[in-house]
Amino acid sequence: MSAAAATTYPVSTAATARALPELQPGQPARKNRTPLSVVRSVPRRRRAPFVVMCFGLLALALMAVLVLNISVSSAQYQLVELRAKQNTLTKQNQDLTQQVQNYDAPQNLAAKATELGMVASTAKGQIDLSTLSVTGKAKPAAKSDAPSAVIAAPAIAGQVAVVPAPSAQDPLANRKPADSTSAAATSATSATDAAAKTAADAAAAAKQAAEQAAAKAAAAVPAVELHGGSIPAPAQKTPGK
Amino acid sequence: MAQNTGKARSSRTSSATRRLRIGLCLMLALLLVVGAKLFLVQGLDMGGMAEAALKNRLTPTVLPAERGKILDASGNVLASSVIRYNVVVDQTVNTTTATFPRLETVDGKDTIVKIPRDQGIEELANVLGMKKDDVKNALTGTQRYYIVAKDIRPDVEDRISKLQIPGLASEGTSKRVYPNGSVAGGIVGFLKDGTTGQAGLEQTQDDVLKGTPGKRVFEIGADGLRIPVGVDQLTPAVNGKDVKLTLNSDLQYFAQQAIQSQKDKLSAEWGIIVISDVKNGNIIAMADTNAPDPNDPGKVDAKDRGVRAVTAAYEPGSVEKMITAASAIEEGTSHPLDTYTVPPTYTVDGQTFSDAFEHGTEQRTLAGIVGYSMNTGTVMVGQKLSKEKRHDWLQKFGIGEAPDIGLPAETPGILTPADQWDGRQQYTVLFGQGVAQSTLQTVRAYQSIANDGVMLQPRLIDSYIDPDGHEEKVPAKDSRQVVSKDTAKQVRDILESAVTEGEIKDAAIDGYRVGAKTGTSESPCDDGKSGFCGYTASMVGMAPMDDPRFIVEVVLQRPKGSIYGITNGPVFRSVMGQTLRTYNVQPSTGAPVRLPQYAK
Repeated sequence: MSAAAATTYPVSTAATARALPELQPGQPARKNRTPLSVVRSVPRRRRAPFVVMCFGLLALALMAVLVLNISVSSAQYQLVELRAKQNTLTKQNQDLTQQVQNYDAPQNLAAKATELGMVASTAKGQIDLSTLSVTGKAKPAAKSDAPSAVIAAPAIAGQVAVVPAPSAQDPLANRKPADSTSAAATSATSATDAAAKTAADAAAAAKQAAEQAAAKAAAAVPAVELHGGSIPAPAQKTPGK
Repeated sequence: MAQNTGKARSSRTSSATRRLRIGLCLMLALLLVVGAKLFLVQGLDMGGMAEAALKNRLTPTVLPAERGKILDASGNVLASSVIRYNVVVDQTVNTTTATFPRLETVDGKDTIVKIPRDQGIEELANVLGMKKDDVKNALTGTQRYYIVAKDIRPDVEDRISKLQIPGLASEGTSKRVYPNGSVAGGIVGFLKDGTTGQAGLEQTQDDVLKGTPGKRVFEIGADGLRIPVGVDQLTPAVNGKDVKLTLNSDLQYFAQQAIQSQKDKLSAEWGIIVISDVKNGNIIAMADTNAPDPNDPGKVDAKDRGVRAVTAAYEPGSVEKMITAASAIEEGTSHPLDTYTVPPTYTVDGQTFSDAFEHGTEQRTLAGIVGYSMNTGTVMVGQKLSKEKRHDWLQKFGIGEAPDIGLPAETPGILTPADQWDGRQQYTVLFGQGVAQSTLQTVRAYQSIANDGVMLQPRLIDSYIDPDGHEEKVPAKDSRQVVSKDTAKQVRDILESAVTEGEIKDAAIDGYRVGAKTGTSESPCDDGKSGFCGYTASMVGMAPMDDPRFIVEVVLQRPKGSIYGITNGPVFRSVMGQTLRTYNVQPSTGAPVRLPQYAK
């Protein structure tokens, strides 16, 4: 019996059924028959949705990686841009701070005040609110006729010399990085030139004053009085007070 | 077939097996050689190959530490470091490039424009503020590295980089700037090569200010890219600490301006003003004439670049009479109202002393002797103490002991031992001749009288501020009781009477009680042999006397003209007045002390 034939035959027939060894003769054969039932075949799973899902997942994963990659690289660009911005702002901040410090320098402040016609007060009076007493004599500040010494402005390269020329422009406009047109460059240079000129004037005045002082000093060298000795003993006479 | 070849087959099989075995042995031997070599190379690293390779890949970079700032008491910046750029050029590139492309906006559209070399040079010259020819010379040549301009501000550097000139590059550098210039310039000092301090606090505090540079070591491949999994060691840079001073820059400016005016007016050689806080020894201002601007210290003479208040020792003159009076009172040999019969000239041990003014025989109190600054009377008061006592008292008041405030070349002054004093010097030290001290030492001596006899060491450095903002106060040095509280009070009364009743009336300030003492000494020449070269005129005082807050000393070295017409009173008054105003000191209460100058 070939295997092919076997499949065509019924699964079991009475004729081929083997008698079970337990079966005893005389017992009703009907009772011992194995009950037969139709075996329902399990429905075959369809493969297609799974494959589709796999491909979908793959596509999704690839997309995710792509999106992640794009976002990372664009964030990188953003990072670089922000870094550059931070750098620029740091520099700008530093520059502006320096400008403030320059205006803040006591000698520059005093020069500006003098330029505005302000005069330093030398005397003041005090009112004690608890006792209602007035002490000291407050006098109006008087402009001294003798010009006092001028302490030179800090010699920081590139800083505006003491008092900058008044400008209608927003001060920050000057600080903006100029574009490549040479017009801006020339205007910037002319401003620098003006500042440099003021500085040069101030320097010239200071130099003149220094020369005068030096000339005076040179003119008035006293004759040395040794009182007949070679080493001056500490003289006892203390003039003045 | 099989039965035919039975014998031949067995012989062939054995020879094949043999060959196979030989081959296997050969292979194994070769494998052993290769394995051994591998072990030698990888396991033992005989030739130091791996090490050499790693060394080749490792690239160290130095992360510079930022130098700390120097600040005044209210946080104003006296010295700080900023970013600057050096513009450098590769001349070989620039010289050979006749035109270069640049992206420009023409009529609202971005277009690439060809720029001729000359135009580029002209634009660069405009931005740099240099002459076109100079720039052209700098850009032309065969050098691969040439510095066109130094210390360019960041915004200018930005403009330059936008010009896109071929071969041009900029390098970041750090530059020290001193926003207040010559205000406190000598105290702050300056750097010699942009990194190391050469003068002032920049020199003495160099270790604190400069910090520790960091280091980054990483592996770099032959293609110039970093190897991500390689070594990456980062030692972060530790920035320098900030140094905060006790100075007030406004008062420092005021004092410098005042002493400079006085010096110019009287054609003196130099002048000093010191303002000190009585209660804690803080130095509020220490002004010098011709103070250097640390941004450009070369503009003033080398001798003017230091801080004379601590470096210059000179004979103080009559301001020393305060010490004589204090020691006599403390020793119990005198009292402010004790009477002395002062002759026109006074002779002791064959040494004759006279006064700066003519007078007959007068009945004076100790207050009157100090108030009129009489040498004769001072010798009479002081001679009751032994030579050793006089020496010890000068020493107790800090003469011969250098104040340590963190500046270079602080002088201790000259106080010769008592047994080396000659017959005259033993008396002249009583009125400040034959002994030398710095201005700060005088201020310290007066500070101890103002502070009820307790001498505090002067302070200039208030605190160190860590990069993380933590402030570490510099502790005050040990103080010492020089004279008793009672003696200090009596000496203060004498000093106040010198202003109210004595000869220093021009030191008086409206609304405040002031005590002061002048000093005029004969100053030997600097070369030490040509004798007398002029006077040192000084005035030291304190206010308000009901509770002294500040000491101001004004010193003027060798003013020209008659010494009798010179007074530092107005300068003292304006500086002390400004100090009291700045710190909102309450006007004095109570009646001013007026000790009689003449005995009844």
